[in-house]
Amino acid sequence: MAKRLFIFLTLLAVAAMFFDFASHFRPADKLSPLAEHYVAEGPQELGAANLVTAVVVTYRGLDTLGEVTVLFLSAAGVGLLLAGRRKREDAEPQEDLHPSSELVQTAVQFLLPIAMLFGVYIFVNGHLTPGGGFQGGAVIASGTLLLFLALPNAKLHHGIMGELESFSGFGYVLVGLLGIFLAGGFLDNRFLPLGDFGRLLSAGAMPLIYVLIGLKVGTELSVVLERFKGE
Amino acid sequence: MTISVATLALGTGLLLMLIGLWGLLAQRNLIRLILGFSLLDTGIHIVMVSIGYVTGGTAPIIDAAVDPAQAVHTVVDPIPSALVLTAIVIGLGITAVMLSFAIRIHDRKKTLSIEDCTESKG
Amino acid sequence: MNQFWDPINLVIVALAAGFLLPLVARIGKEVARSLFYLVILYQALLPLVWLGWLSDGAPPAEVFTAGIAPPFAINLLMGLHEAFFVASVNLIGLLGGWYLRERLLDSPVGMSLFVVLTMGVDGIVMTRDLFNLFIFIEISGIATYGLLALEDNGKSLAAGFKYIIATTLASSFFLVGVLVMYHLTGTLNLDQMYGAASSISGPVGIAAMTLVAAGLVIELKPYPANGWGLDVYETSNPGVAAMISVGVSAGALFALYKALPLLVPFHTALAAVGGATFLVSNLMGLQQNHARRLLGYSSIGQMGLVLFALIALGQLDGDPEKIAFIVAGLFLNHLLAKSGLFWLAGSVGRDKLKDWANLRDHPTLLLTFGFLLAALIGLPPFPGFWAKWELLMALAAGDMPFWIAVVLIGSLLEAVYLFRWFGHCLHGEEGTPVLREPVTTSLYPVYLCVVGLFAAGHWAADHLGLDATWTLLPVYIALALTLLDWLPGRIKAIVVLIIASVYAWHIAPGLEGLQGLFGLMLLGGGILLTIASFYREDHRVGYFPLLAMLLLSMGALLEADSGLQFFVAWEFITVASYLLVALGKDSKPHTLIYLIFSLGSAYLILGGLALAYGNTGSGGLADLSLVTNPMSAWVLGLLAAGFLVKTGALGLHVWLPGAYSEAPDDFSALLSAVVGKAAVFGLLLAALSLGLKGGANHWVMVALGWLGLLTALWGALMALFQEDMKRLLAYSSMGQVGYVVTAIATADHLGWTAAAYLAVNHLLFKGLLFLAVAGVILRTGTRLMYRTGGLIQNMPITFTAALIGIFAISGVPPMTGFGGKWLLLNALIEKGWYWQAGLAFFASAVAFLYLFRLIHTIFLGQRKREHKDLKEAPWALLIPQLVLIGMIVAFSAYPLWLIQPLADLMANFLPQTITWEGTVMKTHLGYWDGFMVINIVGALFLLPFLLLLYLSRFMHIQKVKQFNIVFAAERPETPETTHYAYGFYRFYERALGDLVKPRATAFWNGVSEWSHTLGGTLRGLYTGNGQTYALYVVMYLAVLYLSIRGTI
Repeated sequence: MAKRLFIFLTLLAVAAMFFDFASHFRPADKLSPLAEHYVAEGPQELGAANLVTAVVVTYRGLDTLGEVTVLFLSAAGVGLLLAGRRKREDAEPQEDLHPSSELVQTAVQFLLPIAMLFGVYIFVNGHLTPGGGFQGGAVIASGTLLLFLALPNAKLHHGIMGELESFSGFGYVLVGLLGIFLAGGFLDNRFLPLGDFGRLLSAGAMPLIYVLIGLKVGTELSVVLERFKGE
Repeated sequence: MTISVATLALGTGLLLMLIGLWGLLAQRNLIRLILGFSLLDTGIHIVMVSIGYVTGGTAPIIDAAVDPAQAVHTVVDPIPSALVLTAIVIGLGITAVMLSFAIRIHDRKKTLSIEDCTESKG
Repeated sequence: MNQFWDPINLVIVALAAGFLLPLVARIGKEVARSLFYLVILYQALLPLVWLGWLSDGAPPAEVFTAGIAPPFAINLLMGLHEAFFVASVNLIGLLGGWYLRERLLDSPVGMSLFVVLTMGVDGIVMTRDLFNLFIFIEISGIATYGLLALEDNGKSLAAGFKYIIATTLASSFFLVGVLVMYHLTGTLNLDQMYGAASSISGPVGIAAMTLVAAGLVIELKPYPANGWGLDVYETSNPGVAAMISVGVSAGALFALYKALPLLVPFHTALAAVGGATFLVSNLMGLQQNHARRLLGYSSIGQMGLVLFALIALGQLDGDPEKIAFIVAGLFLNHLLAKSGLFWLAGSVGRDKLKDWANLRDHPTLLLTFGFLLAALIGLPPFPGFWAKWELLMALAAGDMPFWIAVVLIGSLLEAVYLFRWFGHCLHGEEGTPVLREPVTTSLYPVYLCVVGLFAAGHWAADHLGLDATWTLLPVYIALALTLLDWLPGRIKAIVVLIIASVYAWHIAPGLEGLQGLFGLMLLGGGILLTIASFYREDHRVGYFPLLAMLLLSMGALLEADSGLQFFVAWEFITVASYLLVALGKDSKPHTLIYLIFSLGSAYLILGGLALAYGNTGSGGLADLSLVTNPMSAWVLGLLAAGFLVKTGALGLHVWLPGAYSEAPDDFSALLSAVVGKAAVFGLLLAALSLGLKGGANHWVMVALGWLGLLTALWGALMALFQEDMKRLLAYSSMGQVGYVVTAIATADHLGWTAAAYLAVNHLLFKGLLFLAVAGVILRTGTRLMYRTGGLIQNMPITFTAALIGIFAISGVPPMTGFGGKWLLLNALIEKGWYWQAGLAFFASAVAFLYLFRLIHTIFLGQRKREHKDLKEAPWALLIPQLVLIGMIVAFSAYPLWLIQPLADLMANFLPQTITWEGTVMKTHLGYWDGFMVINIVGALFLLPFLLLLYLSRFMHIQKVKQFNIVFAAERPETPETTHYAYGFYRFYERALGDLVKPRATAFWNGVSEWSHTLGGTLRGLYTGNGQTYALYVVMYLAVLYLSIRGTI
């Protein structure tokens, strides 16, 4: 078929490009000057042990705010498409979702608090250890997923989820604003003291930002999961 | 000739991208199409990370394992790591939106074939 | 810097509001709505404030996020370019938000998405970091996906899914490209990366550039990887479609603009992609019948043009300020016109173009629609016109004639489908569904777009160094008169006469030489024939504003010093006369053809002017003569072709009979007698500047000479077989102006004197005949000659006028026509063009046949029974006729009154060839004493006439009553065949019919069919299958790579 042939030829050309690329690719043997600055100056400048976090939250804070925005937008889009869809006339009739076995339910009851706690741990320590707001939020959402697996008819409290989602997003913007007024610029984390390097309360506003992001991502992903489940 | 870790990862990522592209172009089912996109996206993430890899480097976290004075010579580039985090989240968002479109299309048209989505053309 | 106007606030405020809106909506919908309005208002005001500051010379604002200087943290820039784009997009956001408010009221999430979408585009424009650019592209992308979900039906959802697939692929390419560029340059900061651009090379660099170029260009919806865009334009909410077409495209364009310094090897390919997209989209638009999809084709085309201009001009190393003017002009024009049209289409709520017919019941809407279309096509006074003009001049200066042709052909195609749409509104069939009464307030944004277009156009004209108010006066006067359109027709006629007279009085002192002569013809003739419009009692909505515009722009044409002024006036004449023709009752089938050929003519002229500018570097009309050979032959050829279209030269005449005959009856006189002379003026101007040069120019002139004569002959032949009196006169106009063309082609003094003389004479007799015929049509209600007859008794003055008119045409003494033919034949023989002279002689003999028929059939012979009580034509028609008769008689008796000034005028350009002795005029070939001739001929007529009068006293004379004719016992099958004048020249038709087959019409029909078929075939690529579209997207990547891989 002609279309198959075109697909094949196109992918062949793309593959040729990839091959040219990969075969001439020379891995870096030292850091770029930009990265060197982050590694050498970052700990003193921003007070974060996890340099990736320093880049994510402060140096490229605008990206991260954008990232949170993207997630917010996609949750909003999912909401627009799927909210209340069971009530719309064209959807398939609601099938009763069977609760899973007692084994699963019990396990989830045991695991859920731990998962939530672990998520919180990850985003609170984001400036020190691997992880951060997104990772922590994702772990929290996987807790929600576990909940739905065990109790398919569980419902999230929309009021609280919505408020949490809105306020954590708004709070993030507000923290960024404080950077303008109290420090050097939008999303500057240094309006709070940098503290002792390597401590939980250090790196200025970074932990605060990651807490807000963690909450936002956690609630947003949970709501998205619920939408896919069908309310 | 020896192939470095970075090149190997790069090659893997590019290969995944190709497979994802093939899925996008050749599969008819919307869900499979979206899976194709996910593969493509994952491939991209691997490519990103392998670009940031510095031969022999460790994670860019200044803790007990890394001497702050020598950090510049011992860690990998933190920038692509930060970027890939962003890219992953964005990919996730897009996948979620695509899936909800697929669900609504199925609600409306009772089909998941992309070939049945050709009302507007020409 | 005031904290309140800090550019970063665009991000902060939008996000804060975006996050909060769903929550605020719980307090109350009105609260959420107020917050929404406040935010979009602020989003629009902030960049406007900056635009003001920056254009006053304030330094660009740099925003350092995180309080850390670049390249270590992301920075934003608010410079002049950024401020302009952000302001445009956010203004449309403001208007679009207002337009969408009903739809968004129920959906606080929708409001969030809308606010954040605008913010995303702002971020694309302002950010100076390549990866941050990707983030903002994604933000605007995902916000768009969400808004697409506002229309929840299968079709829209499917379109949305295709859109997501394509744009996601594009941004994936871009993402990988960005990372590889980081790998090569070690930075993500754009300004640093520009400095390190040389390290983006080798196979890895090429891959990076390909990925970035493909990713960004795909977002601009290049042909053919744009079916997904079309589907969304067609099916999404019009408010959202407007935002995609304008806002999202603006972001994509700016993103590419920022990446261009990194993509140098791809510049040529990207420019070609833009140009091709412009041309092909417009070609494919031809057959489209769905309103919003049509707007989609146009959107894609326009953005292609902007892309082309941006890159091509950059490659030419033009003045950056000029590039900015062109790109900004094209973009602003697209922005305002397209969003206005999308919103209008949404309010009208009709998808099929032909269902738009009832728009004519809403004059304000119709007018608004017309303005938006005119802007889109690039007609003055809208900003797109000025930008396109500058673009073409720059292309000419850069020696890119091929791309000039692409831009002009694309523009013409776009005009064809847009005006076809407009035609449906003007002339569509009744009985189509009545418009849903549009909510008036939701149309405010549309009206504001029109106001914005006018303001921007005025500013642009000023910027180009024109006196904008004066240059655009014809439009402004027309607008002012439109406000008075509720007045009775005759009062408006008086107003128009006053305005035109004051205007003529004002500019007359500045018109000398050729301009002075044509000033008398165009303005004097125009005013005289305007008097005829008193003959109708009705309101004639639209007629008088357009008439004023036409008269004033003819004055402006003569006043023009520069090519630009000339062309502006020419476009005004084109538009005004198109609309005036369209006011004719049955003009539907002819108006579009008229417009297409008129615009085609305009674009040929524009092409000629551009080439001339490219050659001399000067835009002055006087400097046309400085164009060097061999370019001058091209310029002359293009200009001549353009003007010949408007004179109706053989082969290019197919628009003429329909337009001349279906225009309102009094306007036909003006159109044929006066407006047609504007083209003669142009042709003379071109011949004067370029026709006297040797080389190929000589052959252009020879061709012109033959073409003129063949036109004269064919015009006469075709006039011969007409039954419709206006069509007969139309063909006659075509033929008579053919002589003028030939006379101009001789390029010597005698010839040009003849040309001017013939032109003046044509004005006099054709005005006279069209008005006479208008009177007959008014009284009898028919244009078919065989339905009339014997009207001499009812309409003696009209009969006299027609008689004098045909005497004046025919080249026999004693009337003015003889002088013209005599001069022409002299000139041709002098030149050695014997064959041409013979042809001219033969053609005028044919002309005599149809003229005879005109008077014979209408005024002589049997009168119809129902015409017994007809009255003479109204005085309003007779007065201008009497004036014209007076002039013809005066010039017949004293030809020197006319010829001497004309000959003296032409002597300014070429050596004088005519001498005078008293009333005797001499050339090398002979002499003519017009005064004596008229006396002799007069005596020859008078004597037999007196004799007959005397004899009739004494002889027994029986008057033949109308019906004492006996027919044989024969029953005619069709009633008209009983009229002896039906098919009067049937026997000639048998002999000559083959010659007058509508070959030109068939040819142009073929051209039209061919373009439609080609457009249809190309459209076949849009299968509607999202996967095919994805394949095209990936192919773009592959083809871009393969095209560059070989070259480096």
